[in-house]
Amino acid sequence: MNSLIDKFSGSVLSYREALFHAMDDALSGNPKVIIMGQGVTDHKGLFGTTLNFSSKYGRDRVLDTPLAEEALAGIALGASLNGLYPINTHMRVDFSLCCMNQVVNLIAKYKYMSGGQFECPMLIRMVIGRSWGQGAQHSQSLQSFFAHVPGLTVIMPSHSDSILKDYHYIVHSYRAPVISIEHRLLYDVKFNIEQNSVYSNDDPLSSHLVRNGNDVTIVATSIMVLEALRAAQYLSTNAGLECEVIDLNCVSHPDKEMIMNSVEKTGRLIIADTSWQAYGVCAEVCRIVCEKAPSLLKVPVLTLGMQPATCPTAKTLEDYFYPNLQTLTGAIARIVSGKTNHGIPLPDEHSMADAYKKFRGPF
Amino acid sequence: MKFNDLYEELFYKALSIRLVEEKIIELYPTDKIESPVHLSIGQEAVAVGVCQELRTTDLIFSNNRGHAYYLAKGGDLKEFFAELYGKNTGCCRGKGGSMHLAATDVGFMGASAIVASTIPHAVGAALAAKKLNKNHIITSVFGDGAVDEGVYHEALNFASLHKLPIIFVCENNDLAVHSRTTERQAFKILDHAGNYGIPTHYCAEGYDFTEVYRVFSRLVSEVRTTRLPQYIEIKTCRYMEHVGVNEDYNAGYRSIKQIESWKAKDPLMNQKALIDKFKPSILKEIEEAVMFAEDSSWPELTDLLTDVI
Repeated sequence: MNSLIDKFSGSVLSYREALFHAMDDALSGNPKVIIMGQGVTDHKGLFGTTLNFSSKYGRDRVLDTPLAEEALAGIALGASLNGLYPINTHMRVDFSLCCMNQVVNLIAKYKYMSGGQFECPMLIRMVIGRSWGQGAQHSQSLQSFFAHVPGLTVIMPSHSDSILKDYHYIVHSYRAPVISIEHRLLYDVKFNIEQNSVYSNDDPLSSHLVRNGNDVTIVATSIMVLEALRAAQYLSTNAGLECEVIDLNCVSHPDKEMIMNSVEKTGRLIIADTSWQAYGVCAEVCRIVCEKAPSLLKVPVLTLGMQPATCPTAKTLEDYFYPNLQTLTGAIARIVSGKTNHGIPLPDEHSMADAYKKFRGPF
Repeated sequence: MKFNDLYEELFYKALSIRLVEEKIIELYPTDKIESPVHLSIGQEAVAVGVCQELRTTDLIFSNNRGHAYYLAKGGDLKEFFAELYGKNTGCCRGKGGSMHLAATDVGFMGASAIVASTIPHAVGAALAAKKLNKNHIITSVFGDGAVDEGVYHEALNFASLHKLPIIFVCENNDLAVHSRTTERQAFKILDHAGNYGIPTHYCAEGYDFTEVYRVFSRLVSEVRTTRLPQYIEIKTCRYMEHVGVNEDYNAGYRSIKQIESWKAKDPLMNQKALIDKFKPSILKEIEEAVMFAEDSSWPELTDLLTDVI
C-alpha cells in the first residue's frame, strides 16, 4: 500500500499539490533526503512544489544552488555515493543539457562500470514548458535523450496519482537514478485521488491502461495522455468510436506486454508524444510493435508530436507547432475509418494550450 | 613487510606502483590487457604521499590515470590485474578496466575517463559527510588539464560556499595529453583557486614522497579539525606517453632534458640499495597477482546485463 495514496484518497489534488506533497513526504519520511536546485528556497518554491520547505526542514536540507548544472548533477552523484538521497531540480528540461555529461557519462554508468560496487539512487526533476511564448529553449521535451541511455529510469507522470505513487516509491525504495519529466501545463490540472484507480493499482515505474476500447490503441506520454482521453471522450460521444489509451508513464521501461495486448485487440496504433517523432518515444513504440508482431497492425501506425522545427514563440506559430484536439481526433478518425474523408465532425479547437488556460506565464 | 622507518614504507609503496606499471609495459605486447592504459610512472610519489595519512574510511575520487591512487589507497593488487585482464574477479568484474578502477572497501571511490568529472563527486561526498555528521574527509585528485574545465570551477565554488571537508589535489605534470599549461591557461592555478576562498598550498617536490607526505598530512590534520576545504598543487612529471606503454620524447611536444632532470631526483631510480632490498618481494607479489588474473575466468553473457539499473 502506498501511504501517500492512502493519505489523500478521496480528495482532489492538482499536479502541483501532488508534487508538493510528494516532496514533503520525501523530506519528512527520510532524513537523508535533500533537495538541491535553483530557486527551491525562494518565495515561488519551484512553482510551489518546494514552498516553505527550507523553513520547515532547514536550509541544510533544502538548498538553493549556484547556476552550475553540471557540478550539481555531479554533487548529487557524490552525495548519493556517500549516503544522502538527493533530489535535483531543473525548472526547465532545456537547462539539464548543461549537465548531460554527468547524467550520461557518470550517473547512468557509475553502478555498471564499478561492477555493482556503487549505487547512486537519486531523483532528478525537470519541467517541460509550453505556451505563453516558451520558445526555443524553454519548451523542449527531451525524454528520448535520457531514455536512450542504459542505466537511467525515465518517467513522465501525467496524473497526480502517478506523482504520489511513483515519487514515494522512487525516494523510499528504488536504488537507482530516476529522471522525472513533469509538464508545466499540468501543474494546475486537478485530479481525483482514488484508492483503486489504475494508477494506484499498477506497479510503479510502469505503464497504465487508462481507458478501454476496441477501435484503436493510443499510446501517450505526459499531457498527451489527457489529450488522448479528451479525444477519446469526444469520439465516443460524437462518433461511437472507442479508443484504448495507454499512459506510457515509464518511458525508459514501458510495459511492452500491455502495448502488444492492446494492439492485438484493436489492430490500430497511434502514438502521441510531447516531443518530436523522429528517434523518440514514437519511434521506440513502433520498434516494440515491429519487432514483436507487426502483423497485428491492420493499418500503418500514426504518430503525433511536435512539428520538426524549433519551437516558435509567436502564438499563431506555436499553435501549428503542437498537435491539438482537432488534429488528434482527426488522426483517430482517419486511422479507424481508413479514409481521409471520414465524415466525422471534428471539434473546433486549434490551440490545445487554451484548454489549459491557467498557465499565464511568465514561466 | 616490516619497515625500519616511514621513509622505507613510503619507498616500498611507491616502488610497488612503479614495478606494477613496468609489469604492465612488459605484458602489454601480449594483448592480454585489451584496453587503453594511462600509466602513473613518474607520478607515484604524489599518490603515496597523499594517501599515507588517509584512513580507509576517508574517500578519494580519482581519474583515468588512476592506477597509483588505487594502489596507494590500498586497493587489492590481485583484483587490479584481474580487472586489467577483463576477468570476473577484477575489482569491477571486468566492467571498468584500467580507466574505471574502484574499491569501495578502501574508500577508492572510482575513476572517470572524462577529465574533471569526478571533482563534483568528491564535493558531493563531502556535502554528505557534513550533512550526515560523518568524521571522514574527502580527497579529490585531478590533473592540470581538469583545471581548464568549467565543472572544476563550479565544484570549487560549491565546496567553499558550503564549507566542506575536502582536499583538492592538482597533480600538475604540465600536460593535458600533449598540450602544455602555457598553451591552455591564462591564469595561475593557485591564484585562481585561492580566489574561491580556499587556502592554497604548493609542493614543488612531487618526486619526493616524504615531502608530499609532510605537506599533505598537515592538510589532512587541518581538514579533520576545521572541516573546511584545502587546496594543494603538486608538481609532478609524466615519464610516459599520455596513453600507452611507450615513451614519446621524440614527438617534439616536450624535451627529454626536462624529464632527465626530474629523473635525476627520483628516488625510485637512484636509491639502488633500497630498490635491491624491496624489489624481490614486490615482484613476487606482482607475479602472484598476475597469476591470479591469468587463472581467473572471464565474465559471461549472463554478466553483461547485470548492474545496469
